[in-house]
Amino acid sequence: MDSTLPSGPAVRIEGLDKRYGSFHALRKVNLSVERGERIVICGPSGSGKSTLIRCINRLEEHEGGRITVLGTELNDDVGNIDGIRREVGMVFQHFNLFPHMTVLENCMIAPMIVRKRPRAEAETTARRFLAKVRIPEQAMKFPGQLSGGQQQRVAIARALCMQPQIMLFDEPTSALDPEMIAEVLDVMVTLAAEGMTMICVTHEMGFARRVADRVIFMDGGEIVEEAPPEEFFTSSRNERTRQFLSQVLGH
Amino acid sequence: MEMVVVAPPAPSRLEDLKRRFFATPLQALLSLISLTIMAFIVWKLLDWAVFSAVFTTTGGPEACQAAAGACWSVIAARWRIILFGLYPFEEQWRSALACVSVVVMTVLSCIPAFWTGRRIALIWGAGTGLYYVLMKGGVLGLPYVGEEAWGGLALTLFIFVTTCLIGFPLAICLALLRRSDLPWISRTTGLIIDGVRSLPLISILFTFAVVLPFALPQWLQGDKLYRVILGSALFFSAYQAEIVRGGMQGVPAGQEEAAMALGMSYWQRIGRIVLPQAMRNALPATINQFVISFKETSLVVIVGFFEILASGNAAYGTGEWRFAYVEVYAFIAFIYFIFVFSLSRYGAYLERRMAVGER
Ligand SMILES: Nc1ncnc2c1ncn2[C@@H]1O[C@H](COP(=O)(O)OP(=O)(O)O)[C@@H](O)[C@H]1O
Ligand SMILES: [Mg+2]
Repeated sequence: MDSTLPSGPAVRIEGLDKRYGSFHALRKVNLSVERGERIVICGPSGSGKSTLIRCINRLEEHEGGRITVLGTELNDDVGNIDGIRREVGMVFQHFNLFPHMTVLENCMIAPMIVRKRPRAEAETTARRFLAKVRIPEQAMKFPGQLSGGQQQRVAIARALCMQPQIMLFDEPTSALDPEMIAEVLDVMVTLAAEGMTMICVTHEMGFARRVADRVIFMDGGEIVEEAPPEEFFTSSRNERTRQFLSQVLGH
Repeated sequence: MEMVVVAPPAPSRLEDLKRRFFATPLQALLSLISLTIMAFIVWKLLDWAVFSAVFTTTGGPEACQAAAGACWSVIAARWRIILFGLYPFEEQWRSALACVSVVVMTVLSCIPAFWTGRRIALIWGAGTGLYYVLMKGGVLGLPYVGEEAWGGLALTLFIFVTTCLIGFPLAICLALLRRSDLPWISRTTGLIIDGVRSLPLISILFTFAVVLPFALPQWLQGDKLYRVILGSALFFSAYQAEIVRGGMQGVPAGQEEAAMALGMSYWQRIGRIVLPQAMRNALPATINQFVISFKETSLVVIVGFFEILASGNAAYGTGEWRFAYVEVYAFIAFIYFIFVFSLSRYGAYLERRMAVGER
């Protein structure tokens, strides 16, 4: 994949269908994300948000429809999948840092073995991104020695070290204590300000209001509503959206 | 008023003992009786093994039989048979060097500084190669000695080390195949593993040593020793595969997902992310399996090899030292103990070392 590709949407999803056995997890989902766009996806638990973004880097296989990422269609071609995963970073709810490696090694391993960067270069890059997520001093520690918020920031740095063109976030703050949520959101806001293409599943509505270009509301495996944040929060016509908003906003 | 807080003095060793073993009169009585029994046993053992024992061969077997204690002269007279079996007497220095080369190889590969693919391969290649050249000869002016004459500790070590060197990678392959997404692969592998595990080691050794030659063409048979090693490696790998698989099940699915999301290939995910964590989980059981395998090498006597235990039998079995079998077995037990105990201590060291990352 080439970063100088002619413009076109970063992600295009057409008629996406996904089942787990007899359970229909995604029904005919259509979504197009432009380069540099910031999307926030929200919706009740079990509505298919994780499934949707995990299809984008093929952590889940889809049964129907087409997914095109950075101009390459996702199909059974393993080369395509590896190419796309290199360009799409992902941050998980439970961090999923590699516990047997130091923070620095966590950030260096993929650039070294996937992108074949020399060790010295990988280390420079890793230190740069650790500084960017504001934990340069923790480089030699193991993940288990850090707080949740610090671990999630390492996870973001680890993904960024691959210098991806798209970042996926799956509820990055849901497993954190309240006082640590802000430090992770701050990093994400900075990233958004730099023009990263971001698709974030989150219930942090303050974050959505601040950085999202579009907010997407899912329920029952479908995209129910899609609107810029102002419109989404103030003048949603959809009953399910309004009910959900009243729950997460707490009034 | 001034408050002085004094911490209660830490109980001394003696007081601690008193509290534990002499709290009530009955307890004191029981403790005293046990102490007496223990002292008696220790005294008897020491008397047998040291004070009344014979250490020199000057008096021959007769002096031994006259003495009340242990007859260590049998070891002094027969240690070469125990350590080297039927290996030609004048060439036994080669067998000793071969033992040293295998032990050095094992010790080196236990040191974390050597844990890179190239270094490990170099150490193992050099160690086993040196062993083979030294034992077999036929080159560099060393007289030829066929595998059938190898024996004693040298043979035990060789069988153990090669069993692990072949069996361990095989175990990892089996464990990965058993985890395969393709049902027919995982099921077939499962059948093989369970099949091998449900057979006694002796029957596998017997099959590989005696039955296989009838089924295989001449050029595929190789020496009986290598067939036996293959059989024992297969047995080892079936058990070890389940241990490795258990270790892999302890690695959260999110680990492999994170590695996938970073674009790592299957082998990179397995080699860098899953296996290192799985082996850490599987370490205690793995060390256990090594210990069991070391002790099971003695079963090759069934198919006609003189490993250390069989050589021990030969050492006292012929004529004059017939009465001194206890001493010979004590000596062999001591040798086993040295190897097995080092193995367990190494396992404990590894666990401590690996625990560093887990706080
Ligand atoms: N691996 C799976 N096997 C079976 N069902 C699954 C699996 N993953 C998710 N599901 C189901 O799919 C639905 C959508 O899940 P998910 O995308 O994780 O929802 P969300 O992230 O919005 O909470 C849920 O009902 C969940 O139970
Ligand atoms: Mg989810």
